[in-house]
Amino acid sequence: MNQRITIDPITRLEGHGRIEIFLDDAGEVVSAYFQVPELRGFESFCVGRQSEEMPNITNRICGVCPEAHHIAAAKALDEMFGAPCLPAAVRIRELIYSAFFVTDHTTHFYCLGGPDFIVGPDAPKEERNILGVIRKVGLDAGKEVIACRARNHGLIKKLGGRGVHLCGALPGGWSVAVTPEIAEEARQIARQNIEFALFSLETFHQIVLGNEAYRDLVMGDLYAHQTYSMGTVDADNAPNFYDGTIRVVDPAGNELTRYRPQKYLDHIAEHVEPWSYVKFPYLKKIGWKGFVDGPESGVYQATPLARLNVADRMATPRAQAEFERFFDAFGCRGTGPGGRNRPVHHRLATHWARLVELLYAAERMQELADHPELCDPNVRQIVSYRAGVGIGSVEAPRGTLTHHYSCDERGILTSVNLVVGTTNNNAPIGMSIAKAAKGLIHNGVVNDGILNRVEMAFRLYDPCCSCATHAIGTAPLEITIRRAGVGTILDRISRGC
Amino acid sequence: MVVIGLGSPFLTDDSVGPRVVRELAREEYPGVRFVEAHAGGLLLLEELSGTRGAIIIDALLDEGLSPGEVVVSGIEGASHNAACSHDCGLTEALDIGRTMGMPLPDDTDISLVAVVAKDVTTFSEALTPEVETAVQRACTAVRSILARRHAGSPAEAP
Repeated sequence: MNQRITIDPITRLEGHGRIEIFLDDAGEVVSAYFQVPELRGFESFCVGRQSEEMPNITNRICGVCPEAHHIAAAKALDEMFGAPCLPAAVRIRELIYSAFFVTDHTTHFYCLGGPDFIVGPDAPKEERNILGVIRKVGLDAGKEVIACRARNHGLIKKLGGRGVHLCGALPGGWSVAVTPEIAEEARQIARQNIEFALFSLETFHQIVLGNEAYRDLVMGDLYAHQTYSMGTVDADNAPNFYDGTIRVVDPAGNELTRYRPQKYLDHIAEHVEPWSYVKFPYLKKIGWKGFVDGPESGVYQATPLARLNVADRMATPRAQAEFERFFDAFGCRGTGPGGRNRPVHHRLATHWARLVELLYAAERMQELADHPELCDPNVRQIVSYRAGVGIGSVEAPRGTLTHHYSCDERGILTSVNLVVGTTNNNAPIGMSIAKAAKGLIHNGVVNDGILNRVEMAFRLYDPCCSCATHAIGTAPLEITIRRAGVGTILDRISRGC
Repeated sequence: MVVIGLGSPFLTDDSVGPRVVRELAREEYPGVRFVEAHAGGLLLLEELSGTRGAIIIDALLDEGLSPGEVVVSGIEGASHNAACSHDCGLTEALDIGRTMGMPLPDDTDISLVAVVAKDVTTFSEALTPEVETAVQRACTAVRSILARRHAGSPAEAP
């Protein structure tokens, strides 16, 4: 008797997704799929609009990473209008972007990914949430999570002109200069963020790595995959979220390629599967060989873990110390080709990598807030329409994000292509789910703890499936187990949000 | 007092919350703050912090009701149904906030005004005709709640 298990929608995923698991007659996993019934058509919707509207339109693609779309769109416009961004405006953009990274990574660790570790993967699902985390780490820490989000959102609002869906970007610049008062506020916030990031890392070390069972989960084979890694780095090969070149390293740590984001189409192609709306990007130089590991497979990941794997160092001192601690823990520091780090392939370590990035973002905020150029009033420039192409790229929290526009001589958009962070990771997400399901489900035995450990395989990627809508209404969270072929429902389990 | 319109401005009827807020913001309501927001959960908590009352306006997906119907309820009616997939639901967010001693309105001081949507997946800045005609009724419902709050709480005059 074949069985089909559906987890739909997945809990603690941004947007809606569905996991399908197929069991054979013996109750063993034959295959598993990650599907996203995603809203499509944003690119078509934008064609015919004025190009300078794009930062304000695309920041509505998603309620979670509007800053990433806003900044990527602004960078695409810089190029399209032939107006390199003014230095002070670059600082403002990057300061906002760093504050955004702090809020986003904080939210993921404490609300989405953290509950699995801090509360425990087998804890009752009613407790595997942020309230459970607060009970474990303490009320003061919980207050700091909320305060961290609030102070950074407040700063983004002041710098960006509007809360959440900021509206400050202009081609080649920013709409409002930073006052010394706001710069001082940013300095204070950055200091608090650094303390909070250090606290979060210590929490991870004590609660996760200090627990043998959790450590085995993070460092074991169940969630490991040997794929290529991708991320944006600066001239010193340190990760940079705002700008740089895109570097790809192979599973052993050798550099496969590095390129300006404008050349992305020379390096990335997209595979299509009939069962998914979302395409599967792969490395052109290697080619698509299916959902398989190894240097012969063009599958790559673009995640916080990938960004550490492609980096040779971090650009800030405290993050550098944590970076070294991270690779030391896996025995990978300096043991790769040419003395660089060997990539870490244990995907649950992405949670740890995210916290290293949280610390880097906080330290980078401090550098930017201290920079005398930040308050330069020269943040706007006059630009003229011209027919052309603009490609803007940033590292979104979930991976490399690329906006690619073409417009006519009136500045009207004629084509729009968006490659979002999660799309990069579509193939590895599916591979991680399949591997976890095969390793955990045997003899047809499925329970909540097992399904949660399967969900953890995608949650680590922090996937964001364009959740542009929401509703006050019923939000069904169900696992449906079906008989393959006829589709008869064998069981249905309701799951809480 | 805060009046929050939830929704994306680009997804047809999902924009009804912000649309209602824009209509009402043209009127004079001393002591009332109007907010356009896109997501619930912890982000909503930040807007609710420090207020004594709130009205939340959003699109409602309910096949049992007709598009354009306006449903007014308290927060109890929305328990465990107000979903925000990124962090947590509204009621959970309120629980978190209260656990941590944030100054939040009581449940009885939070009202929901929901407009039954017909289409929340097509990219458009226009409402469907059914929901367009409901905008004024939703505005009336909000005005009515504001007036009632004013009568019951002279210290926080609308």
